[in-house]
Amino acid sequence: MYSFINSLLPATLFCILYANSALAIDGEAAATLSLSPQFCITASEEQNCDIELLLNWHTAIPQVVCILSNYQALPKWCADSADIKALSLKVSTQEDIQFILINKLTHQTLAGAQLNITPTAEPQARRRFRNPWSLF
Amino acid sequence: MNKIITVLLTAALLSFATYADEAVSCDDGSECITIGLWDIGIAVGYGVKSNPITQFDDIPIYIIPSLAYYGEQWFFDNGNLGYSLLESENITVNMTTSFSSDSAYFSRWDPSNIFVAGGSRVSTELANSSSFWDVDDLYALNFNELEDRKVTVLGGVETFFYTRAGIFNIALAHDLLDVHSGMEAQLKWMYRLAFSQWKLELAASANWKSQEIVNYYYGVRSSENYYWNQAYNPGSATNLSLTLTTQYAINQHWELLFLAHYTDLADEIVASPLINEHSSNTFFVGVAYRF
Repeated sequence: MYSFINSLLPATLFCILYANSALAIDGEAAATLSLSPQFCITASEEQNCDIELLLNWHTAIPQVVCILSNYQALPKWCADSADIKALSLKVSTQEDIQFILINKLTHQTLAGAQLNITPTAEPQARRRFRNPWSLF
Repeated sequence: MNKIITVLLTAALLSFATYADEAVSCDDGSECITIGLWDIGIAVGYGVKSNPITQFDDIPIYIIPSLAYYGEQWFFDNGNLGYSLLESENITVNMTTSFSSDSAYFSRWDPSNIFVAGGSRVSTELANSSSFWDVDDLYALNFNELEDRKVTVLGGVETFFYTRAGIFNIALAHDLLDVHSGMEAQLKWMYRLAFSQWKLELAASANWKSQEIVNYYYGVRSSENYYWNQAYNPGSATNLSLTLTTQYAINQHWELLFLAHYTDLADEIVASPLINEHSSNTFFVGVAYRF
């Protein structure tokens, strides 16, 4: 009984992983959403990233799409027709922005993309153990 | 035996070695330095380092350099090389090297005297002009030329404790070059104040020197004076020191400096026929530029 469970468990895990993999491949094939640029490097965490983004998408079948985001100035944007496959927008942010491509009619999620804000690392400091002017 | 103790102590502390804690703050009044960048400064002004050695000149000070580089764990600070074994908010443990301060009295080019103009000169009749000792014997008064007292590098372990009452430093070091094979220990308290453009650091320390160090620098060789070679047999000694460092920042690069240092020499050292002072004083007033 114990050996049966031991042999069944890996087989079950394999099936679950295979199924997830297949779904992911189907999802990727169905629609893609690309973002350019994907990264914005700022001088510090307090500095805004002011940048113009270009979103491009592709769907396997023509469909009217909407783009949702957690960027306050653009919570939702919808295309007027299935022929529109790109969106250009200016953003000013200190935080990452998530974009989600959905079907306008069914609200089905098709793809996603993210703008990553990366502040440059500030120089690290440590304690100095000697007084700079101590030569005694 | 002392060397064995130092090695064992170092080995024991090495077993607790950890990487420097990146979360250590510099908000507790301690001086900070940017990792990976050289900190270079130079101070120009006037000061004097008194020399307690009989008939050796006081040492004028016109220029003081400041040179430091700190990595994640290694550091170089004004001639001292160190490696941080443990660095946390409240405690730091370093392995470090240093130069003995005693050799500076005998050598113009001692590391402690770098960039210091003037220097010391050797007298062949050390005790003739001094009434510091109550000795009538002519044999005691006539000295031949002094032999060299060499500079050496000390290596050991130091610990800093960061508290609201100030920074406490305990250090133990041994002669690494077998010049005198002696040991030094230091207990130091530092308190730093900063307000507006002013920075003040007050430090009090007790510096213990083993018999080997005291005898090497302040003892008398038989070739120098046979009487004192037999008569002066010092033991270990503890000097007490006070230091005041005052900085006034004019802008990002320029600052005014006032440094004062007082060392009360231990009785065992003052008893040496080479010494004619009970203390050693240093002061410096000048302007500094930090690059």
